[in-house]
Amino acid sequence: MKSKLDRRKQIISLLNERFRETAVTRPTDNLAAASTSALPKSSEPDTLLPQLYHFYRSVIHNINSGLLAIDFDGSITFANKKATQLLGYTGKELQNMAVQHLFADGEEAARLLQLLKLPGKQISEKETRFRQKNGQVITVSMDAAPINDASNQFQGITLLFRDITELVQLREQMNRIERLALVGELAAGIAHEIRNPLGGIKTAAQVLRDSFTEEDVESQLIDRIIREVDKANKLLKEFFKFARPTPPQFAPVDIEMIIDGVYLLLAPRLKKQNIKFVENAEPHLPQVYVDETQIEQVILNLFMNAIDAMPEGGTLQVRISRRTIPMVDESLTMDKSPQLEYVLVEVSDTGTGIPERILPKIFNPFFTTKKDGVGLGLSICSRLVEENHGKIDVMSELGKGTTFFIALPVFKQ
Amino acid sequence: MEDVKRLLIVDDEETITFSLYRAFIKAPVDCEVITAESGEEAWERIQEKPFDVVITDLAMPGMDGFELLKRLKQEFPATRVIIITAYGSDEKEQRAYAIGADKYLEKPFDINELKNLVFQWMS
Repeated sequence: MKSKLDRRKQIISLLNERFRETAVTRPTDNLAAASTSALPKSSEPDTLLPQLYHFYRSVIHNINSGLLAIDFDGSITFANKKATQLLGYTGKELQNMAVQHLFADGEEAARLLQLLKLPGKQISEKETRFRQKNGQVITVSMDAAPINDASNQFQGITLLFRDITELVQLREQMNRIERLALVGELAAGIAHEIRNPLGGIKTAAQVLRDSFTEEDVESQLIDRIIREVDKANKLLKEFFKFARPTPPQFAPVDIEMIIDGVYLLLAPRLKKQNIKFVENAEPHLPQVYVDETQIEQVILNLFMNAIDAMPEGGTLQVRISRRTIPMVDESLTMDKSPQLEYVLVEVSDTGTGIPERILPKIFNPFFTTKKDGVGLGLSICSRLVEENHGKIDVMSELGKGTTFFIALPVFKQ
Repeated sequence: MEDVKRLLIVDDEETITFSLYRAFIKAPVDCEVITAESGEEAWERIQEKPFDVVITDLAMPGMDGFELLKRLKQEFPATRVIIITAYGSDEKEQRAYAIGADKYLEKPFDINELKNLVFQWMS
């Protein structure tokens, strides 16, 4: 059994060598060419096999999904061109690599292999995460099926996968917006419902107050009721403002001025906590088209979080640059898509960092790691940035720090 | 008899109508105070005999405060209307004034402010 397997691996290895050689010598192969030229026209056995070989080789290398073949002990025996592009490895590097190395969660690979050994088992459109050669994790949608030999014995599996990282990010962003809108509506509704009985309490208390003189102890107690009602109402008003922000008042704004204003506001606190402030702004930055007060609130919130993340001091760095990204238009190729101009603001700290497992939750309302936090700060930031037609994202490394990215639309004359 | 002023308080919150009723029956001006728990009931009372001042809530089941305000301003333009609401917003305030409200107050309001206004209009 062992020698049979070794022989099989040797054959696959030789075939892969052939694939690589032809990929170098005939880089322009494509499916159309293969389908017309490589389909058997001759019945000669010695020409039929190479034609079939080139035809299937072309099909496999030109599919727009990564394809991996894995033997029964989990070693990669074949990777198509797309797989090498998506994973960042060369075909040679992938050859014989344990497939566990590719999974962000190695145990998942072992479970998968076990599962596929079960008769008739297939996996379709499973969402999982692969780790690229450079360490970056991508989310993929994966189909897996067993490879059986002529006697129906399990020999390994094929993995077909495509990168859905951006799709997942977009989906999470949409979910976040929906959640925020829902919570905002809910909170606003509750705030209003509470104000109705508060109105009743205050009115009744004020009417009752008129029945007593200034000196009566009852008057003092009633005054306390009225004061507490006013205090509760003030809190509700604040909360209401957070939960359902007013529509943005768009105007051309210098983003550097907003950042400088927030820095001046927090300068004493930065100094007190031994935090160095560094600002790098690209020259000739365009104005952004946003609500100045709302974006100021976002920057202030991010600065405050950065300060909280650096109790022992550190560096708060802001980088501002102009960026262009193609708009998503599936009817056009990337180079013909209209371009969107953004000003990118990066707010970095050298603080404690955010653990990977909680990173996706930080924009959720009421999620907080702070002892006395409400958990609304970043969800409000996210909502405000979205309402100002911008984007917000975060990257963090434990022990090294966190960077928030805010992209804001450029003002067009 | 002609000097007796008429005040209508409209709110589906009984605590509000009861408290305001108690506050205004002790008014320094001769004032008849009537309460209604819905827009429909208020409109019936108004059609029976007009009021000098109407204090009305906005959010009520059935006919809401905006509709009542609109009808009042069309058919009884001399009636002063004060809007009281727990569901306040800038947009609602603007809309209320655009229809013709004389005052817009958010709950919980200061009853002394309300009393001063009403008595000033009645005196």
